[in-house]
Amino acid sequence: MILTSEQKLFTDSLASFLSSHLPVAALRVLRDAPLSTAYDRDLWRQMVALGVSSITVPTALGGAEFGWLAMGAVAQEMGRRLSPTPLLSSAVLAQGALIQCANIDQINRYLPDLLNGSEVWTVAFEECVHFSPEKVSTKMSARGLGGGKCMVLDGAAADRVVISALTAQGQWGLCVVEADAPGITQTPARLMDGRQYVDFEFTDVPQSACDWFLGETVATGWTQTLNQGMVVLAAEMLGSARELFERTVTYLKEREQFDVKIGSFQALQHRAAHMYSELELSQAAVDAALASFDSGRGDHSALASAAKALTNACFQLISDEAVQMHGGMGVTDELDIGLFLKRSRVCNQLLGNAYWHRRRYAERFEF
Amino acid sequence: MKDRDASVSFRRDIKFWLEKNCPISQRQPIVQKEQIWGGRQRHFHSDDARLWFEAARDRGFTAPEWPSRYGGAGLSVDQAKILREEMQTLGCRPPLYDQGLWLLGPALLAFGSEAQKLQHLPAICRGEIRWAQGYSEPCAGSDLANLQTKAEDNGDFFKVNGSKIWTTKADKADWIFCLVRTDDSGPKQQGISFLLIDLASAGVSVTPIPLLGGESDFCQTFFSDVLVPKDNLVGELHGGWAVAKEVLRHERQLMASFESMAEKPKENIVDLFKQHIGNQDIHGISNTDVRDRLATHLMRDAAVKHLGERIARQREARCADPGLPLLMKYLSTREVQQKNEIVLDILGARGLSLSSPDDPELYDSMVRQWAFDKALTIAGGTSEIQLNIIAKRALELPFSGSS
Ligand SMILES: Cc1cc2nc3c(=O)[nH]c(=O)nc-3n(C[C@H](O)[C@H](O)[C@H](O)COP(=O)(O)OP(=O)(O)OC[C@H]3O[C@@H](n4cnc5c(N)ncnc54)[C@H](O)[C@@H]3O)c2cc1C
Repeated sequence: MILTSEQKLFTDSLASFLSSHLPVAALRVLRDAPLSTAYDRDLWRQMVALGVSSITVPTALGGAEFGWLAMGAVAQEMGRRLSPTPLLSSAVLAQGALIQCANIDQINRYLPDLLNGSEVWTVAFEECVHFSPEKVSTKMSARGLGGGKCMVLDGAAADRVVISALTAQGQWGLCVVEADAPGITQTPARLMDGRQYVDFEFTDVPQSACDWFLGETVATGWTQTLNQGMVVLAAEMLGSARELFERTVTYLKEREQFDVKIGSFQALQHRAAHMYSELELSQAAVDAALASFDSGRGDHSALASAAKALTNACFQLISDEAVQMHGGMGVTDELDIGLFLKRSRVCNQLLGNAYWHRRRYAERFEF
Repeated sequence: MKDRDASVSFRRDIKFWLEKNCPISQRQPIVQKEQIWGGRQRHFHSDDARLWFEAARDRGFTAPEWPSRYGGAGLSVDQAKILREEMQTLGCRPPLYDQGLWLLGPALLAFGSEAQKLQHLPAICRGEIRWAQGYSEPCAGSDLANLQTKAEDNGDFFKVNGSKIWTTKADKADWIFCLVRTDDSGPKQQGISFLLIDLASAGVSVTPIPLLGGESDFCQTFFSDVLVPKDNLVGELHGGWAVAKEVLRHERQLMASFESMAEKPKENIVDLFKQHIGNQDIHGISNTDVRDRLATHLMRDAAVKHLGERIARQREARCADPGLPLLMKYLSTREVQQKNEIVLDILGARGLSLSSPDDPELYDSMVRQWAFDKALTIAGGTSEIQLNIIAKRALELPFSGSS
């Protein structure tokens, strides 16, 4: 991607912030922290002060309108360092749902606090072990909201949750609740990528606690929000894959066996060259999807699915090869390689695995 | 602002000219037998094809970026891009096919003498002389510098002995540009010269080699005491390797965009899938399996195109990542082959004949394309050689002894 100088200045300042405050070592601290910790809230506030929550928000709504290419660049920088932040859960998915699905009163009520960092949100849409946003059984009834969600990103740290649910009349929509509203039980878990994912149970959450986004634009707005989430996640994964690839190429140039650098073995050279071509191929797919959000042109769902499916495969390939090419060191916890490997597998399932995306892509082209 | 206005009016003029001069029949996807190849054996499939060729030739559009004194149109890079875009929008076929145009021309512009440029470039643009490429030899394929065809000093002439293999369409060409050995005392790369040889010279003979697709696209070309004027040496004596590399750079680019030049199947692969597999599982093949592979292929194919666009944008913005162009041939030729394999799987038993009685036009051409495209990962530097180049130049991995 080619960024404007303004975009570049912005992403560079965030990258240097991440380098000093959220390097890979920060993830090691998080994975040993109490289950209730999802990320460092104070650091997130500082990132918000740098502008991270308003990147794609229109200036008319108080945002910076820097565009999705800049958002992708920031996500890649986070991916390079495996930085745990609520960028995806709050600034992309929850904020995106609010801006694209809510009415203007709701936007005016909630958005300022998200943009200034005094609130952080998340989204709860998953009810199955595989990504299936269309399966929704969480429902409002006379007693209140009932049902459950799983795999809620950074769930225990959120102030509010956007829930995909059915109204008492059976109409699908999104509703916002305060995370500590009565009737909500949270069960946090730390998955193998060291991050926090929460199962939510809703038992008679009172009607009055739920603020609904309903209406004609909710379905398309939500689809687009998920598309944006998929591509930002893909960008983050690419950043991780690129970091891991570069570390591996460096190792090939340093490590010696049989009195030569292992990088002189053609079997490894070809695999490294292949990884590089896969990396740039995925980058092209991700950039094309980001650019389509900025221009408003193109089939966003197809582009997002291509970006996510190709990046899933690419990050998986590079993480596997990185382990293999580091030999025994590759399977130790001392090196960061394993952290990237485990992150790749979690990301594969988040917001759709490759099968899901290929099927949707085929549907877009009607085959 | 002024630049923008100029390019807007240039685009308007080009569009107007193309609409006026490119007959509707020449705006259909190209099929192989209707391609216009230059040379003394030139022939036109239709009057429209001749009209289109002559109009393009007279306007210099067979070689848009070459200077007009050499028969080109003298367009700037940006103008040539506008022309390409407008031709693409209208679907105009390439007005001329020739290896001289694609490969030799750029090398002559960079390394040829003024006399050589004036002698050869206009004849290429005007489709009068057709060129073959004489690089590979029986013992010099990937290891091209190992070539043995000898050119000995013979007064005003070189005397050439040896043979070139895989010389594409040499039986239809008029001249051949060759790498020959003029010195074998030093390192392999240093004793090579770049020579232009008239295939009508005494002592040249050309034998076609049948390919697995049944066609005979390439030949072995033999040289026995062939006398070549010393004026036909391009670049320095023993300095032909530099010229050769310039040609290879263009060849890599050409091969990466090969699909757009190849014969287009008349139906696209998605239609083919719907027609033959559709929504049911049919005997022995599951619709979801093929669908999955097809989706992966289409995603990757689109991404290869996005990568090409990204390279072009970087070049325009003068912030080119030099590693990226090296990837294009490797990635795009794989994807073309992948598509062909999916086509064969979709067609099942219908896709196994090179001359099917059912629908010879359609299925034959697809199967012939499958056979022909097997060469894409070999010609112009094999995929393994591409990986060697990527490893060495883009990743700067240490020397391996085999690259
Ligand atoms: C359709 C087509 C058109 C062609 N047209 C022309 C033409 O017009 N003029 C011309 O001069 N030539 C032409 N060629 C020849 C082409 O350039 C050679 O075929 C190509 O360079 C490979 O050489 P080779 O066939 O001798 O294979 P080899 O070099 O013998 O290769 C055999 C196998 O060994 C592998 N290999 C070789 N070296 C290495 C290495 N260092 N590391 C790893 N693997 C290696 C190769 O990748 C390949 O898999 C054409 C070829 C084709 C298929």
